[in-house]
Amino acid sequence: MLVFLFWALGIVLIVAQTTLLEYLPLWLGRPDLVFVLVAFIAYRFAWIPGIVLVFVLSWVLDVIAGIYLGLYPLVCLLVFTALKTLTNKSPVKESTYQIPLVGLSYFLMQIFFYFVYSLFLPDMLPEWSWPGTLQRTILVVLAAVPLFILFNRLYEYILTRRLRSKPPRRRSQRAI
Amino acid sequence: MRKNTKAKQGRSIGTTIRILVLITILLVVGLLLLAAMLGGRFGPPHQFTLDFIGPLQSAVTRTFAGIVNLKSDYIALLNVRAENKQMQAQIDKYLTELGEYREGYSTYRHLQEVLALKDKLTFKPIAARVVGKEPAYWYQTIVVDRGKKDDILEGMIALAPGGVVGQVMHTAENYSKILLANAPSSAIDAMVQKNRTRGILKGAGEKGFVLQYVLKTADVEVGDYIVTAGIGGVFPAGIALGKISRIEKKQRGMFQEIEVEPHIDFQKLEYVLLDPTDRKAVLDSMNLTPKR
Repeated sequence: MLVFLFWALGIVLIVAQTTLLEYLPLWLGRPDLVFVLVAFIAYRFAWIPGIVLVFVLSWVLDVIAGIYLGLYPLVCLLVFTALKTLTNKSPVKESTYQIPLVGLSYFLMQIFFYFVYSLFLPDMLPEWSWPGTLQRTILVVLAAVPLFILFNRLYEYILTRRLRSKPPRRRSQRAI
Repeated sequence: MRKNTKAKQGRSIGTTIRILVLITILLVVGLLLLAAMLGGRFGPPHQFTLDFIGPLQSAVTRTFAGIVNLKSDYIALLNVRAENKQMQAQIDKYLTELGEYREGYSTYRHLQEVLALKDKLTFKPIAARVVGKEPAYWYQTIVVDRGKKDDILEGMIALAPGGVVGQVMHTAENYSKILLANAPSSAIDAMVQKNRTRGILKGAGEKGFVLQYVLKTADVEVGDYIVTAGIGGVFPAGIALGKISRIEKKQRGMFQEIEVEPHIDFQKLEYVLLDPTDRKAVLDSMNLTPKR
């Protein structure tokens, strides 16, 4: 249920990213909403459902917009693994660090993208721009604040409902 | 004791399953990446995904475009908007005509065969609505509501009244993905319209285009028009691309650095025209076989 609902939410975000965000002014740029969701999944979900969700959502965005198929899912899975490993049983998991970590990982992802292009597709290497990279990172961080609030609310709401719907466990005869 | 052993066994099975799932997914991603790098194959799962998301994008685009149009048409500037639309349509028409006249004049001056023009007149474009855009820094692609069902094939070119929009890169049954001409991975054989100086027009994202490999000795000026050169068989010669906005001649190197401003506003694309002519030439030049 949880995985399915977040999958549906991811699809909504992908559709919004590729349709509604186009109405934003060009100079502002567009935040990568799916990346924010990938980071949230890394913080909150267990390994297997997390990997499955990240793979499916990044695959869909890759099909819709990607030029070299497979690159975006690979990057998203790397980001997921890195964030999951970093935050597992660590104080970095606290909400104070979550948003800055999203920004840092997005910044590093852009550098990784550029690195991959320079290795495998040097002819198609776009021009690197520090202001542009920083602007995109700031935009993702700004978008992450309301999105994380929304994701957290949804996550907790589903968990609460799930707990309520489960009947309380009875003690076994032997225990008594 | 037994319970502990059973619990340990259960845990180890769980860990094995986790590792297997992780390895499987990484393998799938690796294979996808490899396949994309080697052949760029857009298989049935990709096509299904595009056909699944396409209608959602189409619905949102139509609804939102409807709301925006309603607001701007009926609430904001009703008359001005209508007049503006009419004038914009006229400008598009005149720009197209102007481009044709310029091209006709250049063709005359360079003693080209009239047959080439006749070929261009057989052009019967298929109109397609833009339902999704992802002009992010790395992508610069759009999704349109025409696919294999409408005889759209990979490699076909997309145009707008102002000139070249891009090229179809992936097709599903009902939707297609187009690589915009201003994408960093896009390169078009182009020439300066006034004197046929040739170069390669590379996409530069939000900056438009960069015209490469034009010698320093070539006579080019800011404001010169750039059109397709027609080499390679993908784009016919003479389609408008943009005009030169900046020229820089550095001391080192043989070539000039030329920035080109596109005729088309890639942010405001609503409809594109897909050119179905020369299909076989397109397929042959891309080493693709029609699978229909």
